[in-house]
Amino acid sequence: MIPAWHYDGRTATRHEVFVTAQDDGLRLDLGEGRSDLAPWADLFWIDKRDGASVFGRKGVDGWRIGIPLPMTDLLARRLPPQSRYGGLVDKFGIWPAVAGFTALSAAVVLVLWKVPDVVAPLVPMSWEQKMGDAMIGDLGGRICDGAEGQRALDALVQRIDPEADKLRVRIVNVDMVNAAALPGGQIVIFRGLLQEAKNPDELAGVLGHEIGHVRNRDVMQALLRQMGLSLLLGGVGGDVGGALNSAISASYSRAAESRADGYAINLMRTANVSPIPTAGFFDRLAADERKLGKGAVAMSYMSSHPLSDERRKIFLASARKGANYSPAVTPQQWRAIVDACANDPDVKEGDLF
Amino acid sequence: MGIGNEDQTAFEFRGDWKEFFPIAASNLLLTLVTLGVYRFWATTRERRYFWSQTRFIDDTLEWTGTGKELFLGFLMAIVALIVPVIGLQFLIQALILQGQAALAGVLGVGFYFVILFLIGFATFRALRYRLSRTHWHGIRGGSEDPGFRYGLSYIWKTLVGGLALGLLIPWSMTQLWADRWNQMSFGPHRFESTPEWGGLMKRFLLLYLVPVAAVILGVVAAVSGGGDPGSLGAMVGLLVLAFYVVLPLIALGYYAAFFREVVGTLSLTTINFQFTAHTKQWFLLFLGNAGLFLLALVAALIPISALGLFAGLQDLQPGQDPFAQNPGVVIGMVLALIIPMSLVGPFIRYRNWRFFIRNLEATGVIDLDLLTQSQTKVGSHGEGLFDALDMGAM
Repeated sequence: MIPAWHYDGRTATRHEVFVTAQDDGLRLDLGEGRSDLAPWADLFWIDKRDGASVFGRKGVDGWRIGIPLPMTDLLARRLPPQSRYGGLVDKFGIWPAVAGFTALSAAVVLVLWKVPDVVAPLVPMSWEQKMGDAMIGDLGGRICDGAEGQRALDALVQRIDPEADKLRVRIVNVDMVNAAALPGGQIVIFRGLLQEAKNPDELAGVLGHEIGHVRNRDVMQALLRQMGLSLLLGGVGGDVGGALNSAISASYSRAAESRADGYAINLMRTANVSPIPTAGFFDRLAADERKLGKGAVAMSYMSSHPLSDERRKIFLASARKGANYSPAVTPQQWRAIVDACANDPDVKEGDLF
Repeated sequence: MGIGNEDQTAFEFRGDWKEFFPIAASNLLLTLVTLGVYRFWATTRERRYFWSQTRFIDDTLEWTGTGKELFLGFLMAIVALIVPVIGLQFLIQALILQGQAALAGVLGVGFYFVILFLIGFATFRALRYRLSRTHWHGIRGGSEDPGFRYGLSYIWKTLVGGLALGLLIPWSMTQLWADRWNQMSFGPHRFESTPEWGGLMKRFLLLYLVPVAAVILGVVAAVSGGGDPGSLGAMVGLLVLAFYVVLPLIALGYYAAFFREVVGTLSLTTINFQFTAHTKQWFLLFLGNAGLFLLALVAALIPISALGLFAGLQDLQPGQDPFAQNPGVVIGMVLALIIPMSLVGPFIRYRNWRFFIRNLEATGVIDLDLLTQSQTKVGSHGEGLFDALDMGAM
C-alpha cells in the first residue's frame, strides 16, 4: 500500500488514497471501504509533478493518480513509461528517429524534384493551354496586338519554326529585358528586350530558346516542381500573379537550358538564320550585368537565363563557314516588331504586378 | 478555498529557461528533419511545459492536447477551407487579368466576407480548443457553442468598428472579447465577461491626436524656420519620431488598458480575474523580444560571414551560381540562419506566457466539490484553421 493523490475526474476535490499493484490493474483504496481498479492497459503517463509521476486513465476524462517518486519496482514495471517526444519518436529513441526522418525527408524531396520530369509530359496539352489562358488572359490589356506588329512577329516565328501554329508568341508592353515561355505554348516577349535587340536574328535566337522550353515541356515541369516544393514548405500559395511571376523568373536546370539552346540552334540552322548575332546579344547583356550589378537585373533575362560564356560559345560555334544566311525577317517587318507597342493605340502600359 | 490574498498570488509561473532549452532544441531538430511535420508535436510539448510550470492555487495546470489532433486539425483546415479559399482567390485574379473587373469585384467583396468570417470562427475555435485541453484538478473547460454565430458577429462588428475612421474599434474589440468569453466555461461554470469600452476611448483618441499634432508642429517648425534645410530636417525628424516611436507607444498604451479592462471584468462564478501589466511592462516585454531577435541575428551572421569568407563567395562573379560551386557552404549558411532564428520563436512564446501568468491575478473563493467535470464536447481536432490562417497566440 503506497500513499498517492487522486482526482476522480468528476469533481475537483483531491483525494488522498493508497495504491496497490495487482495482476489485473492498479487498485486504489479510496477510504471508507470503497475502492477502484484501473486496468494497466488503460493507464497512460502524463507528467512529473511535485515529486510524483502522474498518470491518466483512458475513457475517464480528468481521472488522475499521482504516485510519489521513487516508485517501487513492482509499480514501475507495470506502469507505462514516460513519454517525451511523441509516440513514434519515443518508440525508436530520438537519434534513430532523427536518422529515419532525415532519410525519409530526403526521399520525399527527391521524389518531388524528380516526379515533374515524368508527370509533365503526361499532362494533356489542352489542360496546359487552359492554365496558360487563365494565367495570362490579355495581361490587363498590356499586349501589343496591333495588326502590323503581330503579323511581322508571326512571320518571324513562322520563319524559324515549322510548327509555329501551335504557339502564341506575343509582345507585352512592360519595360523589362526578358522573354519567357508560359504554359500552353504561350511565349511572351517584353518590350525592353526588343529595344535591346539590334536585329531580328538576335530575337530569333532568344525565341528559339523559349520555343525549346515549350517543346520540351519544361514550363509544366518547373510549375509542378515549384508547386510541390511550396506545398512541402507549408506555404500554400494560390495567387495567379505569383504563379505568373515565378514562371517568368523560373530558372530551369542547366540540362534543360542547354537542351533549349540546342533546340534553338537546330531551328536556326534549318531556317538558315545566323546564330552569330544571338551570341553577340548574350555578350552585350552580360556586359550590362557586370556594369549594373546583380540587383539591377532582377526579373530580367539575365536573372532567369544565367549567361555563361559557354552558352555564347555554343551559339558561335554552331555557325557554319560559308553558309548563305539570310535575315530572319525583312527590315520593314523588323521595324514593325520593334514598334509594335508604339503603334498599338489601345495598349496599356505599366509594370507587371 | 479562498484565493488571491496578499501573501500569495493565485497564479505563478515557475519555469526555467535552462529547463526549456532542451525542449526547444529537440523540437527544432525534429521539425527540421521532418520538413516541418513535427511542428504540431513541438507545439504540444511546448505547451505541456508552459502549462505544467503554471501553478493555480495549489496545483499546476495540465495541457492534455496532442500533436496528432493539431496535425489532423491542420489537414482538415487545408482540405475543407484553405483549398476553396485559394481557388476563389485564383479565380478572382484570373478574372482581373482577363478584364472581367466587375465580376471580380463582386467575388472579391464576397471573398472579404468569407475571410472575416473565417478569422472570427478560427479565433473562437482556438480559444475553445485551448480551454478544452486545459485541466486543473482533473477538471477542464470548453464551450457548447460551435462558433458559427461568433463568426457572423465578427463580420459585422469588425465592419462597424471600422466605420468613422475606426473610432468604434474599442467598441468592437471589447464586444467581441465578451461574445467569445461569454460562451466559454470551465467545469460546470460559465465565464462572464462585462467589459466597458467608454473608458478606453481617451487612450484610443490619442492615436488620432498624435499624427495631427505632429503635422501641425512640423508645419510650424518649417514655416517659422522660413523653409531653410535645417527646419525642414526638423519637420521630417518630428514626423519620423511621431510615426515610429510615439504612435506605437500610444497603441501599446491603448492595448495595455484594453487588456486590463477585458481581463479585469472577466469572472468565473465566484472568481474574479485581474491583469496587472501597465504600458511599461508591455513595452519591456516587446523590447526583450526584439532583443532576442537581434541576438539571434548576430548569432546567425557570425558563422554565415565566416563561411562566406571561407568559400570565397565575396568574389562571386555575375552569372555564377554559388550553389553549384559549393553546395556544402550554402547549406551550412542556410542552417546557420535557420537554427538561431527558429529558436527565437519558442523563447518569445516562453516570455509571453511568463508575462501573461505573472500579470494574471484571481480573487474570490472556489468550492472544489461544486467544480464538477465539464460536459462540453471535446473535438477530435485542434486549432487547425487558426494555425492555417497563421494567427498568433495570446
